[in-house]
Amino acid sequence: MSKTLTRRTILKVASGGLAASFAMPAILRAQGAYPDRPINIVVPFDTGGYNDRLARAFAPFLQEKLGQPLTIINRGGAGALLGHTFFLQQPDDGYTLLCTSAAPYLPLNILTQDAAFKLEDFYMVNLPSQDYTLMATSAGSDIQTVDDVISRLKADPGSLSVGLQPASADLVNFSILCAANEIDTNAVRVVTYDGGGPARNAVAGGVVDVGLVGGEGFLPLAEQIRPLMTFDTRKRDNWDGAIVTDVLGADADFVVGSQRGWGLHGSMQTSNPEVFQTLVSAIEAASKDPAAIEGLKNQQLATDWYGPEESNQMLARTAKVMEQYIDLLKGN
Amino acid sequence: MIELDSVYGAFTLLSSDGNAWLYLLPGLLIGLVFGAMPGISITMAMAFALPATLYMDFLPAIIFLTAIYTGAGFGGSVPAVLMGIPGTSSAVATTFDGYPMARKGLHSEALGIALASSVIGCLASYAMLFVLIVPISGVVLKLGPLEMFAVAVWGMLLLGSLAGAHISRGILAGTFGVLLGTIGMNTAGFVRGTVGIPWLLDGVPQIPAMMGLLAASQLIGLINTTYLIEDESSRKISFAKILGGVRQCFRYPTIIFRGSLIGVIIGAIPGVGSSISNLLSYSETKRNAPDGDTFGEGNPKGVIAAEAANSSSEGGAMATMLALGIPGGGATAILLAAFAMHNIVGGPSFIAHNKDIVYAIMFSNFAQAILLFFVGLGFVYVAGYVVRVPLRFLIPSVLVVSTFGAYAIEGSSAGPITLWVFSVLGWGMVRYGYPVAAAVVGLLLGGLLEGNLLRTNQISGGDFIGYGLERPWALVIFALMIGSILLQIVSKRRRAKEAFLSTGSSS
Amino acid sequence: MSNRSGRTVVWGHLILLTVIVGVVVAYLLDARGVSLRTNNLLLVQPAAILALVLAAFILPSIFPRVEATEEVETKEEVETKVETRGDLFRIFILIAALAGLAFSLEVVGFDVATFAFMVIGLAVCGEKRWWVIILFSALFTVFLIYGYGTITPFPFPLTIL
Repeated sequence: MSKTLTRRTILKVASGGLAASFAMPAILRAQGAYPDRPINIVVPFDTGGYNDRLARAFAPFLQEKLGQPLTIINRGGAGALLGHTFFLQQPDDGYTLLCTSAAPYLPLNILTQDAAFKLEDFYMVNLPSQDYTLMATSAGSDIQTVDDVISRLKADPGSLSVGLQPASADLVNFSILCAANEIDTNAVRVVTYDGGGPARNAVAGGVVDVGLVGGEGFLPLAEQIRPLMTFDTRKRDNWDGAIVTDVLGADADFVVGSQRGWGLHGSMQTSNPEVFQTLVSAIEAASKDPAAIEGLKNQQLATDWYGPEESNQMLARTAKVMEQYIDLLKGN
Repeated sequence: MIELDSVYGAFTLLSSDGNAWLYLLPGLLIGLVFGAMPGISITMAMAFALPATLYMDFLPAIIFLTAIYTGAGFGGSVPAVLMGIPGTSSAVATTFDGYPMARKGLHSEALGIALASSVIGCLASYAMLFVLIVPISGVVLKLGPLEMFAVAVWGMLLLGSLAGAHISRGILAGTFGVLLGTIGMNTAGFVRGTVGIPWLLDGVPQIPAMMGLLAASQLIGLINTTYLIEDESSRKISFAKILGGVRQCFRYPTIIFRGSLIGVIIGAIPGVGSSISNLLSYSETKRNAPDGDTFGEGNPKGVIAAEAANSSSEGGAMATMLALGIPGGGATAILLAAFAMHNIVGGPSFIAHNKDIVYAIMFSNFAQAILLFFVGLGFVYVAGYVVRVPLRFLIPSVLVVSTFGAYAIEGSSAGPITLWVFSVLGWGMVRYGYPVAAAVVGLLLGGLLEGNLLRTNQISGGDFIGYGLERPWALVIFALMIGSILLQIVSKRRRAKEAFLSTGSSS
Repeated sequence: MSNRSGRTVVWGHLILLTVIVGVVVAYLLDARGVSLRTNNLLLVQPAAILALVLAAFILPSIFPRVEATEEVETKEEVETKVETRGDLFRIFILIAALAGLAFSLEVVGFDVATFAFMVIGLAVCGEKRWWVIILFSALFTVFLIYGYGTITPFPFPLTIL
């Protein structure tokens, strides 16, 4: 073992240990102009989830553009309601950003949890991650295609157990599929899981016969599952199996999955237009930074730039569809 | 199952970058300090260090993070022994006997025992990983709700042994805990008992509630006492006694082995982990010990059982993470994120193609465990001075620290308020002979119990027995459980004949 | 303690059991109010009923017969008996101070709330020298806020510091 202890190494160790969270921004700008102090990113979920990983992975690139360190604040709980409320309570001065699963959680907070805010209180700068429901079964299962699932459920709705999360886009999609095939959803053995992770594990392990869960999270388990159907109008992530329009026709009704990304206070557009513009440009620049795209792609995180206009429209559209299925979302 | 080529590769990997080892010590220290602060979880400590690892190479980054993992795992045991504060749910069972030992003046021994069992448990778990990583990954995903329900019921058996002098009060405390543990949104989406408070949607915050029930309630009752340890001469901190505790630990290889095995297996199950394994190990050890009645009054075996299991859960969690690429809890989720930062994706293909890295991680964890022993000795020695602080300073200080810790978990007053409610409840319960530990166990297991009972019902369409017969693993767990209870009844009868009336107002 | 037909009442225990039973009943009613489906009540309802049955078994021990009182007191109320009324009063002050701390942290700031609690706490726990109380409270408050502040991902609301 060659032990060459240089001073740099020691310094690196020391700084790694002591000042871990204060990674230095590459560009330090003059004081006075925004931003002149560290900026907080509120993640309304606990550490380790998709949004947390997205925020942590994207932060170094964004802080390079903004010239101030970014601090991530996890405010998990109550289906992101606590984090969203906390975010709105912070001043709209551009020192608090939001990284969240805007859909389905913002509409869910509003529709089912009597949240004290409206969709317009949030302004989504970019929603790079567009998840979708994937119906899958365990790799060793005797179910080969989505048609197998439909024909078995038609013959006997109780013949298959179906794993999903309550009050989710996946549940709505499953109900739509059942309704289109005249299957009594209430007679199906629906098994509810507390999160996407446990539901996917149950699918991969063959604990449930089929599962409907967000598709991006299935990627690490790709070898243990068999994809049956993607609830989107195009193929996603190279999954085999059908897409929703194959099964339900070209004008198929379905709900998109989580739409995750970056948000600001809606009120900032009028109260702090300059800061608002700086932030939007910085997020855009960071999203288009080749190093960021490369870095996030390797972590299976999205950086695609859709822009504020499209992002907010997508969110509003999802909220509208979810409103139609409010009864399903309210209770199982 | 050990491939020599990969082992050789691992050694090459570890020796090629000598600087990687430099991160071992700071990692352990950060872990120890963070872990010893009530309310600061292993996950938080690792998330804190994650940005720094971005600028490291892969191996140093992983060594640094797993060192924090190991350090924080033991750090939580220090306040558990010295003040009865379970800073994390994995140290709950450590408080049952560790704290009474400290009160008796055996704090040095207790800390030595905790340290040695943690180190051995950690070593054992990584050693088992060598052999078990492939079979574990095959089984873990197949565990369904009935198996998980069986594990939860197994944990509930602990209630029987925690009940103390008044069986009905013990079971009431446990049932009450279970009910409180199901408050909020259940797995099927129904919201109960939140009385309009949004943060109760996720249930009663567990760690503040535990700190209140186990620690704050005790402290309030100690207002008339001058020192944690009444006898002045016992208040010394001595290396000899800490080492004595370390030696004591070696006298119970069975307990350590059982604890490590339980730790690895339970730790490997996603979403369960060390918070349950320490309870199961404690419960099994107590049931099998001839002096089971003295558990809860400062029996060193209880500390060994708890610590061996909670530290070995790390190995189990790592097995699931490496073999399947899925995080069992927050800590492994952070590790996976660190993997990803270096363009490495966990999962079956990772193990197949990178055996050398897997072995390198195991070897570096052996080194961590051994280094933890020495660092831990120093840490424990310093921390032990707490017992020399007069209680009139210690009580308010610890209450404030617990309050800060409770706040630090979610960053809102929800934690401190929960802490207060449960410390008052706990104080009343201790006063009238209700075992607070039973309520804590119920609280910890309530959600697991309900969620999996519900899913079993959903998946089987109500036909529990028919479904159960299709699940051999569940049958095995239930059979083991029933056997264990029968054994306990037999040995209890025997003991009852021998022992004469002893007041067992343990808590 | 009052006497009535040869029985006494352990008031503290009565209060505790009332609280437990009250919470259980309220919870059961609330859960039943949400939905009567199995997916909601499968565990909660039987557990709540079990708790109520157990509470009924415990009830008699709250009203021990006088002749049994001796034994009960020596056996299970040891801690109660060592406490004088004064001690109990101090415990209640400590509990009240802790409540004050928990509920006011975010309102008056961590620095003020912590300092105030430390002062009350030290005084209640028996420290007599006022300058020690002030000095220790101040130092400990500063130490905690900066110590915990650096490792906690959340900012502590502060007023003075």
